[in-house]
Amino acid sequence: MIAAHNTSYLAKLPAGLKFGALLVVSIGLYLIGSWQILSVLLLVSVLVLLSARVNFRQLRMPLVTLLLILAIVFVSLGIQTTWDSALVSVLRLLTMCMFAYAVSLTTTFDAMLELFQQVASPLRHVGANPAQISLGLSLAIRFIPELKRAYLEVREAQHARGLANNPLAVAVPLVIRSLRIAEDTAEALEARGYDSAEHSK
Amino acid sequence: MATATSSQTRNTVYVAIFAAMIAAMGLVPPIVIGIVPVPITLQTLGVMLAGALLGPVRGMLSSLIVVVLALAGLPLLAGGRGGLAVLLGPTGGYLLGWIFGSLVIGALFKFWVLRQKGQTGRIITGLVSVIIGGIGVIYLFGIPWTAAVTGLDLGTSAIGAIAFLPGDLIKAVVTTLVAVTVHRSYRALMS
Repeated sequence: MIAAHNTSYLAKLPAGLKFGALLVVSIGLYLIGSWQILSVLLLVSVLVLLSARVNFRQLRMPLVTLLLILAIVFVSLGIQTTWDSALVSVLRLLTMCMFAYAVSLTTTFDAMLELFQQVASPLRHVGANPAQISLGLSLAIRFIPELKRAYLEVREAQHARGLANNPLAVAVPLVIRSLRIAEDTAEALEARGYDSAEHSK
Repeated sequence: MATATSSQTRNTVYVAIFAAMIAAMGLVPPIVIGIVPVPITLQTLGVMLAGALLGPVRGMLSSLIVVVLALAGLPLLAGGRGGLAVLLGPTGGYLLGWIFGSLVIGALFKFWVLRQKGQTGRIITGLVSVIIGGIGVIYLFGIPWTAAVTGLDLGTSAIGAIAFLPGDLIKAVVTTLVAVTVHRSYRALMS
């Protein structure tokens, strides 16, 4: 869920501010126990999403999943306690998620990642190496399509052998292949003299 | 050949590749296993494997990377979910549980399972470890989180988790067998 070409007023705000606001709103929502106020706030959250002109197609799948879970929660809470508190709880969660969607959909992935790295920067003092953290994050993203391909290839190969539904026959070659990719990449980094320790010490 | 620096880079690459494996397992259509009619997503299999193969610190970092990337907005979680709402929602605790689950599995593998000499001993202790870390610890975060966020009582929240138990048990068995097999050929993986 990434801000895809969102140029609204929300996209112009710094990520840290939006993140902080979301935190405050989330805590605030737990202090409210009336379904009337929460309904109004839900409406506000929808208005925020609308005013930020987010791409609602991106929201369809996550919303379906969320509503499904909330429906189950609503019914079991209603039976256990009162329907009133069930409604409060479900409205609160839905509102919170709507505000969270508003932040996620108006913040670029880069801005969000940068914020996380800022938040984590005190870890430097306990020995974490920022260069290695960046390397790890970017390599992980880079490896995802490669591993997806490896996974589908292994599955196809094992399907041909009639082993497609044997999880072990898929997982062992996949892990071995991943370890090999990791070794090749580590060697390639070494060969090019990648050295993160110098910059940090 | 391996200097201090290069081994650090090597560790980072291992962490990244297992993070990518966890992510990739959420992107591909799930395998339907014979005994269980429900298609199970493989993401927790990746979390368990990261701990069992890389050990506590690197395994935990692999899970942490996936959580960070997902929260930052990449649709990496099963069903294409991602963004901050995942953490705030009813299932956010399971996501946090991944981080500690892989840590516990890794520690148990490093200090208990891999010290067993026989294959049978490793499989039994391995399975116990993966169940403790990959099911016990993850549910320990997930169930109270759901209860706290929704207002359901712990019992109901736990009943909801039971639906995932058969799939998770199968994943624990698979993880154990894979980890024991791979550790046999890659002896230096955790040292």
